[in-house]
Amino acid sequence: MAVDSYTTWLSPLYKIADNVVRPLYWIANIPAGIQDWGKTSVISRGVLEQENLRLQQESLIHLGQLQRMSELAAENVRLRQLLNATELLMDSVLVTAVIGVSPSPQGHTVTIDRGRDDGVYVGQPLLDAEGLMGQITAVYSGHSIALLITDSTHALPVQVLRNGVRSIAEGVSDFNRMALRFVSPTADIIEGDQLVSSGLGGRFPAGYPVGVVTSIKQKPGAIFVDVEVDPSAQLDRSRHLLLVFTTGDLGRGRSDR
Amino acid sequence: MRVASLTGPVLLSLVIATIFQLIPASGVWIFWRPNFLLLVVIAWILYTPDRFGIGFAAMVGLLADTLFRTTLGHYVLVFAVCGTIAFLLSRWLMYLSIFHRAFLIFIIIICAELIQAMLFSVWDVPVTLGHIPIVAAFAALSWPIVDLLISRVQVRRP
Repeated sequence: MAVDSYTTWLSPLYKIADNVVRPLYWIANIPAGIQDWGKTSVISRGVLEQENLRLQQESLIHLGQLQRMSELAAENVRLRQLLNATELLMDSVLVTAVIGVSPSPQGHTVTIDRGRDDGVYVGQPLLDAEGLMGQITAVYSGHSIALLITDSTHALPVQVLRNGVRSIAEGVSDFNRMALRFVSPTADIIEGDQLVSSGLGGRFPAGYPVGVVTSIKQKPGAIFVDVEVDPSAQLDRSRHLLLVFTTGDLGRGRSDR
Repeated sequence: MRVASLTGPVLLSLVIATIFQLIPASGVWIFWRPNFLLLVVIAWILYTPDRFGIGFAAMVGLLADTLFRTTLGHYVLVFAVCGTIAFLLSRWLMYLSIFHRAFLIFIIIICAELIQAMLFSVWDVPVTLGHIPIVAAFAALSWPIVDLLISRVQVRRP
């Protein structure tokens, strides 16, 4: 245990074991695949028409919002140029699907169906439709393993969207909860504050939703307050995710090969 | 007397248990899902204590460690302790009914979860104890199926 905890000597063993049990992951994922197939194939025409109508309306709303967003983005670039700040890079994404979930309640990892062949690299951020999910920790030729932001070994630099107060959000091995560490009682953080990635450390791009502050408690005599955060991403439910490539990262995974 | 090989049935049972273990779960079921690998190991030790013992439990524990991506040795210890309990009790447990054995499984799983909680706390991993009785109850409920399948394999062996 000590050897595995403090060294990486045994990591090849994990890689071998991962490749050996890979077909079992595929078999274990069959029920979920059948469920997905059932949802898309066994559906009435009426429901499809309703869904089509809803999607058209949503698309129209999003296109309207996008026009406004383009204007704001252009304005933002102009202002950053005036401030001589670096230009924000646009991120591109790659759609991926979850093909395996860690069977241990304490280990929050997922296996996705994209690997080195798709340009995935260690440290790459992972999103779902709601927010930041985690980062890639191991890459194989056809699949990768991602550590979720709620894992107890994960920490993520965040900032409050309302006022820019920075902090570190840590996982506590609970899919529905994270914690902010070392928050001063005088820090301007209130319940309901939206947290986004701050971009500090360079691992995660800035501005992606991380979670919402749900409770702030101070124990008597404690120097710091306990801040609980409800993660934005559906960490234990999302099946289709997005791998984020910032402009500088494109092709990085391929060159690492 | 020639002893029939149990390698095939043992491997098959472990593969099936692993698949059940890997089926993606969400919500509270992640915490409540029994450790099927441990149940299968206990069943083999109970039915064939002369052939499968603590070493077998430890080997499957090693497999569980790589599968669960826990620190190597974590499940080795848990499986070895539970395997030892099953091995020591195997001689007279076979005379008890399947429901009594299910009750014993309930107790063993509680021990296993407490050992795990202790090990996780050593590594500063936050643990909750509230789910332990529930996961033990689910394991005890799953036990009759595992018990019947393994005993049937035993009966059919020449």
